[in-house]
Amino acid sequence: MLHVDNLTVCYGQMQALRGVSMEVSPGEMVALIGGNGAGKTTLLNTISGLVPPAAGTLSWEGRPLNSLSPDRICREGIVQVPEGRKLFPAMTVEENLIMGAYLPTVRKQRQESLRKVYDIFPRLADRRRQLAGSLSGGEQQMAALGRALMARPRLLMLDEPSLGLSPKAAVEIFATIRRLNKEGLSVLLVSQEVLETLAITVHGYVLENGVVAMKGPSAELREDPQVKMSYLGL
Amino acid sequence: MDAVLIIQSLISGIMMGMVYALLSVGFSLTWGVMHVIHISHAAFGLLGAYLAYSLLEYFGMDPVVSAAVSVPLLFIVACGVYQLLIKPITKAKEVIVASMILTFGLAIILENVMVLIWKADPRVLTPTYASGALIVGPFYFQYPHLVGFGLSIVGITAIYLFLKKTYTGMAVRAAWQQPEAAQLYGVNLYRISMITFALAVSTAGAGGISLALLNSFEPHSHNLWLIYLFLVVIVGGVGNVIGTAIAGLLIGVITGLAMAFLPYQWVNLVTFGLLMIFLIFRPHGLFKQGV
Repeated sequence: MLHVDNLTVCYGQMQALRGVSMEVSPGEMVALIGGNGAGKTTLLNTISGLVPPAAGTLSWEGRPLNSLSPDRICREGIVQVPEGRKLFPAMTVEENLIMGAYLPTVRKQRQESLRKVYDIFPRLADRRRQLAGSLSGGEQQMAALGRALMARPRLLMLDEPSLGLSPKAAVEIFATIRRLNKEGLSVLLVSQEVLETLAITVHGYVLENGVVAMKGPSAELREDPQVKMSYLGL
Repeated sequence: MDAVLIIQSLISGIMMGMVYALLSVGFSLTWGVMHVIHISHAAFGLLGAYLAYSLLEYFGMDPVVSAAVSVPLLFIVACGVYQLLIKPITKAKEVIVASMILTFGLAIILENVMVLIWKADPRVLTPTYASGALIVGPFYFQYPHLVGFGLSIVGITAIYLFLKKTYTGMAVRAAWQQPEAAQLYGVNLYRISMITFALAVSTAGAGGISLALLNSFEPHSHNLWLIYLFLVVIVGGVGNVIGTAIAGLLIGVITGLAMAFLPYQWVNLVTFGLLMIFLIFRPHGLFKQGV
């Protein structure tokens, strides 16, 4: 479904990604792990079209994605929940969700999408008139995920969805992501919760200093001595 | 002091203030959403006033009717100005500084074009009802002032509803609050910037027409209007429509009272003084910033 081939991304003189290749198959949940500054967020932002690649190709269902603008990529069904959630703080929860269905292709179904999101997160329905900036961390993550679902994604990319959440809220969010994946949504999950992430994904990639250091089935990565030492503290 | 005079100047101040608010709201939006300080904003407002003047002189069109022509016309012109001049500089490192220098130049060009077309003499809008007034007890309200006031209320309300109720308006707010996330959900920042800019210029035109119904104007009037723009936006909070409206009213009332009770040359001293006090003590304004 999504193929990243030999991707290089530069910020000025610095190479943030060097020859990264990876793929996500339909219905699959893929983990992307690695330390701070490894290039995980850069990879997601490049796929989303926010950062232009210096070299390499991105393709989606056989068609090239390079040089498409972020709105075109969102239209293709590749939707990102950005790191730090990036809600619109001075807009209400419901306005945030409605902004998720901004593109004309999904705008018509927004009432139906809204009902679905409120079904998944009843707490958001209770808080619909509240400003997004006044929500707790867990609720903000729900709103961010809900906003992404409003865009009717076919590939959902989540950047650190559990960052800054209470353990309970983190468990809830992971359970929801897992359920969405079970219902057929392809997911690319970036997280520092390495154990949890490798437990719920099928495949994983370990990014270090802008290169893919390791890849393979998540179950194998969990047993890998290198991963255990670097990321699990074992 | 005379109670009638105080109330009368309070009311003229409120009318004037609403007009300032309409003139400023677009200035506030381009500043807040695009980080463009649009120095020629008031000059475009003045252009709106001159268009109304010519349409009235040559075609007998009432200013309110001609606004329906000139405001959309300014919208189209502004789209062109955005594409040609503003868009290239939004890629600059210091957008605010670059935009100020660029649009300062544009203001000078516009001013001289207006001198060429309309001459440097002061003009007044004299619709058919120009000499009429509504008299309520000891108070009188000149009809053009009432019409200008009404036009401002309609303009401000329209902008407010646009931002709150339409998808494009919500995208404008989203782009201000969190540009990266807005892009991720399909908002094209350039398109939104162009709409914001063009809408701002059109409201400036409507504000200019309203102001022309209250005051006389000449090609360099926009320089003084610009000071009021800064004052209103700084007091009201950049990007805040309601704040802009309240700040406009407040400043209108203060200048209205100053005009009634102080020698004329003191009025600008009061406004400039107010601007300085705000810049020193409350540079973020009375209300919070935000669209």
